[in-house]
Amino acid sequence: MTKFIAWIDERLPVTKFVKNHLSEYYAPKNFNFFYFFGSLALFVFILQIITGIFLTINYKPDAASAFASVEYIMRDVEWGWLIRYMHSTGASFFFIVIYLHMLRALMYGSYKKPRELLWLFGMFIFVLLMAEAFMGYLLPWGQMSYWGAQVIISLFGAIPLIGESLALWIRGDYVISDATLNRFFAFHVIALPLLLFAVIYLHIAALHTVGSNNPDGVEIKANKNNDGVPVDGIPFHPYYTVKDIFGLAVFLTIFMFVVFFLPEFGGFFLEKDNFVPADPLKTPEHIVPVWYFTPFYAILRAVPDKLGGVIAMGLAIFVLFLMPWLDRCKVKSIRYRSISYKILLIAFIVSFIGLGYIGMKAPTYTLTLLGRIFTIIYFGFFILLYFISKNEKTKPVPERVTMHD
Amino acid sequence: MIKRYLAFFITLFLLSPVTYGASGGDLKPVAIDLDNKASLQRGAQIYFNNCAGCHTLQYHRYSKFVNDLGISEEMIKKNLILTTYKGEKTKLGSTIVNSINHDSIKEVFGVVPPDLTLTARSRGSEWIYTFLTSFYEDQTRPMGVNNVLYPNVNMPHVLWYKEGLKELDENNQLVIKIKGQLNQKEYEQEITDLVNFLTYVSEPAQLERYSIGFWVMLFLVIFVFITYLLKIEYWRDIK
Repeated sequence: MTKFIAWIDERLPVTKFVKNHLSEYYAPKNFNFFYFFGSLALFVFILQIITGIFLTINYKPDAASAFASVEYIMRDVEWGWLIRYMHSTGASFFFIVIYLHMLRALMYGSYKKPRELLWLFGMFIFVLLMAEAFMGYLLPWGQMSYWGAQVIISLFGAIPLIGESLALWIRGDYVISDATLNRFFAFHVIALPLLLFAVIYLHIAALHTVGSNNPDGVEIKANKNNDGVPVDGIPFHPYYTVKDIFGLAVFLTIFMFVVFFLPEFGGFFLEKDNFVPADPLKTPEHIVPVWYFTPFYAILRAVPDKLGGVIAMGLAIFVLFLMPWLDRCKVKSIRYRSISYKILLIAFIVSFIGLGYIGMKAPTYTLTLLGRIFTIIYFGFFILLYFISKNEKTKPVPERVTMHD
Repeated sequence: MIKRYLAFFITLFLLSPVTYGASGGDLKPVAIDLDNKASLQRGAQIYFNNCAGCHTLQYHRYSKFVNDLGISEEMIKKNLILTTYKGEKTKLGSTIVNSINHDSIKEVFGVVPPDLTLTARSRGSEWIYTFLTSFYEDQTRPMGVNNVLYPNVNMPHVLWYKEGLKELDENNQLVIKIKGQLNQKEYEQEITDLVNFLTYVSEPAQLERYSIGFWVMLFLVIFVFITYLLKIEYWRDIK
């Protein structure tokens, strides 16, 4: 066996790779609950790829047969319903995991020097993931697939001068049609997953270069022993592999509960209208995007002008890219930051969830007003953060990480 | 630590939009019981005797009834398959379609009767139940009936010979005007069976997913426990 491994190692540095990234990759020992979501996101990504491959075996990207092929998977394909529910539930859980993963970064300042690139790659993954989910949602070819895509693609039409031709170019037709379905299928199953794979690789490569942040925001590499090992670091394997397996087990318990007992999740994961085949002549009463897009959709609707709304929605995502430069406070973790930052972050989370709720509902006077207030709070977070973070009153950061458990 | 996580989740839960039960104002509840094979079989019987002529179940297959509902192949061929395909009796493995001519039925009813495979998912079981118990006499409509839930619907009250004919009284309540073959309770039971059947057709996987789900949950709970012990064991020396 050792001879065999030596033979391999001469030709491919397997042992070195395992050492660098697992058995001698040192991670801070004080990770808490929020640190499960990185490895969980990777797991869900792989789960979506595998279930996706099985779905493409029976799915037909053709406007005339797409809807029926999904029902064929649900009824006639052995275990097809399970694969399909895992994929549809997986899409929603992907966003739950990613949003919590991003919240963690905001709480512990994981985007700050030296992790700016790591954060940027993460944001690229988030944008790609939204595109991936949006295009995937068209494929079942139900009413909500169709009209949701119609609404979102028509937003490109608001861009001055090139807008209409751009929308036409994306759709490949004057309305969402067979041509659109076919190209979205191509993007959903190959173009975007490949890109995602590449950016996820860069995200992890960047992470393993700078090392993980932690709930105290202490750089563990600043404090090494004589062997050059961070004193507050522990080898990723076996410590975090066993811990993450436990996290995965808990995740799977919740995930599988939804898959088996609540796959529609009260219309949040699978919308009722999507059980009606797409009909270009019949607009549903109430077009709503899936829950993970609704915060941004609410920002779009909060601006009374179409172009203005599109710009606001784009900015809402773009401004997150700037976090490493907007937050000028040297202290990373929320544990040692000022009360003003804590209040700002809570207001931001409340406004994000509030916008998500408003985006699901038909607009009323009160909801629109509320949507505008939350939109102002959403952007206010970034603007105020820029100013308060310059001279923030922080608490002293400890030299070493602290253990709470 | 655990307390803080709990607080975190409770806050998330409280903040999360609770939109359950927001839609569908006056739907009547219906007791769906997919374990009740007899009810599903009666529902199938009512469906094929009264509905199948106009409404298809185009994503479902006759052959599914053998295992799912416990109806024998002979029985299906004899009593449920009422159509022919290219001069021969429709095969057991076919999807459930009918022979109506779309142009002529549009002339008669104004619309092509919708496929009902997924109606229990798109509109809900309670909606179908309420719809089928909300017809009343209205001589201004082409079919002589109207519907409280779905005003000016084009569908005739096909089951009127069972239910009888209702009318709207001055308090806008539905009351029986002409008696049918069944009393109200019997009619409601038949509609419950029919809705039960349509609920099964909308998602046949329901018959197995709950029972499989139970075992998967049991496995995962044990798995969580074992991985927790493993984690504790490995982390013993970390201070």
